[in-house]
Amino acid sequence: MEPLITRPPNAAGEKTLVRDISWCGVHNGANACMVDVKDGKIVRIRPARYYDQYTREEVKPWVMHARGKSFEPSDKSLAPPLSLAYKKRVFSPGRVRYPMKRVDFDPKGAPGSTGPGGRNAQNRGVSKYERISWDAALDIVAAEMLRIKETYGPTAILNQSDQHGENKCVHGPHGCMRKLLRLFGGYTLQVRDADSWEGWWWGSKHVWGCEPVGQQMPQKNLIYDISKNAELILHWGCDLETTVWGWEGQLPSRLSYWWTELGIKQIFIAPDVNYANAVHADKWIPILPNTDAALYLAIAHHWMENGTYDKDYIATHAYGFDKFEDYVMGREDGEAKTADWAAPICGVPARIIRALAKEWASKRTTIVIGNGGPGIRGPYATEPARLQVLCLAMQGLGKPGCNQAKMIEWGLLDDYEQESPPAPSIIPNLHDAYTGGTPMDTNHPSFIPKSLVPKALLEKDIDWYGNEHEMARREDQFIHYVYPAEGCSRIHMIWTDSPSWITCWNAGNDYAKAVRQDDIEFMLAQHPWLENDCLFADVILPINTMLEEDDIGSDLFSGQMNLLFPEERCVEPLGESVSDYEAVCMIAERLGLLEEYTGGRTIEDLIKIGYENSRVADKISWEDLRRKGYWVVPPMEGWEDIPAGLIEFYEDPEGHPLSTPTGKIEFFATGLAEHFPDDEERPPVPKWIPKGVTHEETLGTERSKKYPLLVMSNHPRWGVHSQHDDITWFREIPTCKVTAQDGYQYQPLWMNAADAAARGIKNGDIVSIYNDRGVVLAGAYVTERIMRGTIGIDHGAKYDPIEVGVIDRGGAINTIVPRGITSKNACGHAVSGFLAEVEKADMEALEAKYPDAFARECHITAGPCLAGFMEGRV
Amino acid sequence: MGKVLIIDLAICNGCHNCQIACKDEHCANDWSPIAKPQPDTGQFWNKVVEMERGSVPKVQVTYHHSICQHCEDAPCMKACNAGAIYRRADGIVIIDPNKCKGNQLCLEACPYENVIYFNDDLNIAQKCTFCAHLIDRGWTETRCSDACPTGAFTFGDDTDPAIKAKVAAASLLKPGLATRPRVYYMNLPKKWVAGAVYDPQADECLEGATVTATNTATGAKVTVSTDNYGDFWLKGLEDGSYTLLIEKAGYLAKKLGPVDATAADQNVGDVELWKA
Repeated sequence: MEPLITRPPNAAGEKTLVRDISWCGVHNGANACMVDVKDGKIVRIRPARYYDQYTREEVKPWVMHARGKSFEPSDKSLAPPLSLAYKKRVFSPGRVRYPMKRVDFDPKGAPGSTGPGGRNAQNRGVSKYERISWDAALDIVAAEMLRIKETYGPTAILNQSDQHGENKCVHGPHGCMRKLLRLFGGYTLQVRDADSWEGWWWGSKHVWGCEPVGQQMPQKNLIYDISKNAELILHWGCDLETTVWGWEGQLPSRLSYWWTELGIKQIFIAPDVNYANAVHADKWIPILPNTDAALYLAIAHHWMENGTYDKDYIATHAYGFDKFEDYVMGREDGEAKTADWAAPICGVPARIIRALAKEWASKRTTIVIGNGGPGIRGPYATEPARLQVLCLAMQGLGKPGCNQAKMIEWGLLDDYEQESPPAPSIIPNLHDAYTGGTPMDTNHPSFIPKSLVPKALLEKDIDWYGNEHEMARREDQFIHYVYPAEGCSRIHMIWTDSPSWITCWNAGNDYAKAVRQDDIEFMLAQHPWLENDCLFADVILPINTMLEEDDIGSDLFSGQMNLLFPEERCVEPLGESVSDYEAVCMIAERLGLLEEYTGGRTIEDLIKIGYENSRVADKISWEDLRRKGYWVVPPMEGWEDIPAGLIEFYEDPEGHPLSTPTGKIEFFATGLAEHFPDDEERPPVPKWIPKGVTHEETLGTERSKKYPLLVMSNHPRWGVHSQHDDITWFREIPTCKVTAQDGYQYQPLWMNAADAAARGIKNGDIVSIYNDRGVVLAGAYVTERIMRGTIGIDHGAKYDPIEVGVIDRGGAINTIVPRGITSKNACGHAVSGFLAEVEKADMEALEAKYPDAFARECHITAGPCLAGFMEGRV
Repeated sequence: MGKVLIIDLAICNGCHNCQIACKDEHCANDWSPIAKPQPDTGQFWNKVVEMERGSVPKVQVTYHHSICQHCEDAPCMKACNAGAIYRRADGIVIIDPNKCKGNQLCLEACPYENVIYFNDDLNIAQKCTFCAHLIDRGWTETRCSDACPTGAFTFGDDTDPAIKAKVAAASLLKPGLATRPRVYYMNLPKKWVAGAVYDPQADECLEGATVTATNTATGAKVTVSTDNYGDFWLKGLEDGSYTLLIEKAGYLAKKLGPVDATAADQNVGDVELWKA
């Protein structure tokens, strides 16, 4: 086949290929990079240069003018280190290069059988792997699928394909098998719940609608609006120098510096000096993890007491304010939510709370969010998320300079309403070439919300409300569902791709227990690396990375300029690896469904279809695109005139109502009142909820006597969720890993010097973080970047079990996060802001008790690797 | 005419792109005769050094950068007894990997930290080359400056007027040395003393209090006013000890100190002012 990119190599013999090196997970890409390749080798990965093949006159980049200064896009993509270092991920010692089988899994064994010739489900996570041929692997997979279908019906197959993986399009790394499973007769779908949006999704939608995510919608032109109008930015529990990296790169960093130059004050409210705070903050207000609801309430109280909120706006734009006022002022429960009330709960002195309330009321204030963060991912996350919106509303939400602005996911929804930066003239769309699943997929009648999967597998019968799919509207939250669905089977087989459950979701140790049960008769994983949930699989199919296949890609998230580009493979696939799509095609062929599955379209066809239906085909010919290597989308003419954020609602609430039942901001959520009038964990008026039937994770509770520290678990700095953890160039950065005396690189645990000293812990010590859900080892990172009473550990470290379901050495903190969902009727996960205790680890005792785990081979600079889990040599 | 690099610490966001791009260029790539491959880990030809400053809740982070200064008068060149270190016409100082005998005299001689590394496997000293192999191909950027998202790295010719202007506004890492480096810094960290003033009776942050820091050795004074949180930040201080005087009309003045800001920035914490 002719190479996809026809531009010849340069004088040094290097060919430049543009690639989307991002991890958003669907077909809409980000972080465009130029990859220079020579002799089948990746020489370098560098930011993509917009003007390499085009002139500025052709592109006409936008210029944003505000307060006498101007701001323009850079001449290059602002790729994060996660993209630039990706060569190391491609050639990681954790790569799966051949099909593999768990050594003591014998597919001829009866379900539940143990010992030689048995299935030995109980050994998942413990037993090692051996190389098998593709033929042998496909034989097992096809036979198991047919046997399971014959025995229980097709819905006994659980498909997990919503996880954190690479961005690909034609080779879609998420859910390529969904179409095949439909053709096969059906399946049960694990539906990802709205992670990193959970509080807004399950909470704020009941306040302001703002479908489909629950964060402010529209976002249009808010970057410009902030630049022109905001006087104060509150970065509330989010970090625009970490979480946004995997999605869109580093424009938020440049913007944040510019806002400082414009004189806009930036306050960071979080337990830690996160990476954005570290370089952009005018002030840090430390707050105990997941106590933000109390702070919002005290601010609201201050405004009510002093009459410093926008009463006219409330009269015309809000519903049920009086009920909220009754609660805040203490008329409902006898407890006024004053600053003095909130101070001991949230660890912020009352005088600081009052000063913040005064400042917010006196300045045009925008809350900047970047998903995730300690502000929104804890138990009862609906409450701080709703209260954030109510406080914004009390100061005239939608007024110039007064919105909730997102610094992430600008290109996620294929929707101009989501474009906070200056709008592009075209949003390219590669949907027609995409072979994977999307967040809009659902699978009636048989699906399980992701955060309830361990519970479903362990308890066998469960029920819940909502979560039909990740983009479902507010009304879905009132629909009752059960597992197993009527006429459907319980789960007996799992098929997972890009698996990362155990290190990213709730109650990871419960997940480990669930998938080691006998009634899970077969577990199939497909992934480029032997890591995390793969360690439980019976058969693992070797998948290649994004740089090993021809594809078509885009960069829709940069906030600078959108790009579209054909993607030529940078290196040949490693070993016997194939793409997710190709792997599913091979299984389809075994099942006699290949023609139906592919529709007769080749990879080449799909790439071309992607281009033809991308919305840019009339701008550049296929031949020119292949020769130049990429197309730069100019900005929309007149983007400055797009009404910013919720300005239309602000100016005309009747003409531009919200999508709530009343069309207004509901301080008293009418939908919740109608459907869940007695739910004390998500009442119609948002509250401070220290504990309830689902959680007991705050200081002052009985559990806190035993586990007196609050764990803050942020999105990782040096990876996207579970990804990048084996990149040696990151692991030698002190904030990425702590190399302990035993030579192992532990996940850092941030501890304030006072908390460390009280426990006799020194910087660099190996510590155990524990609660009643298990133990996680970490490396003490003693720092003033975190407040007392709080410990901080990023999620996403590679699972490296010492005792499966009990103790982890890799630092996968999600193994011990709450098993309960956001609240009784809201099935988000709760993965930050929970109780634990820390002590110096007794390594001698652990090594004596678990000699096998400590003897497992571990790469000295890349961490847990393939060799550690293989029988014999790789 | 020669190449220069200017690093502005005020807009370094700490992303480490420079450190990573350097590794991407030099690990497992052989650019002989300019440079042989850098080991996968342990060497940082462009090292980001995270400086955590202050204590809760007055904490800042500055990212410093260690890189070969490409000195006009390079101590490493003089120290090398194998004649392996040379300066190109464009000012770039190179350790010739084919001539280096592994004597390690350059490591001793270099007066800057984290610059020259020793590669045990190849038995050679290695360091930043300003990506001379790329400059020779016509590149106008080094990998580190190319990868920098914020413009904290500026690379160019010292004959370029824009570069000249930047250089004029920049400082040297160690101005006391006679090495005449080609790397310049902007906004090198200076010490600060911070705190917060409040009225304990009213439990109120005190805005508009005047805080004066006096250097105990020189008598030099710096004065700031507290903000709406009662916060004060005395920035840009020379290393040394300071006494603080805090005054506000209607309140008893308060003296604090001396506060030692010689080795580290200081957060003096919450300071009570009592009504007169």
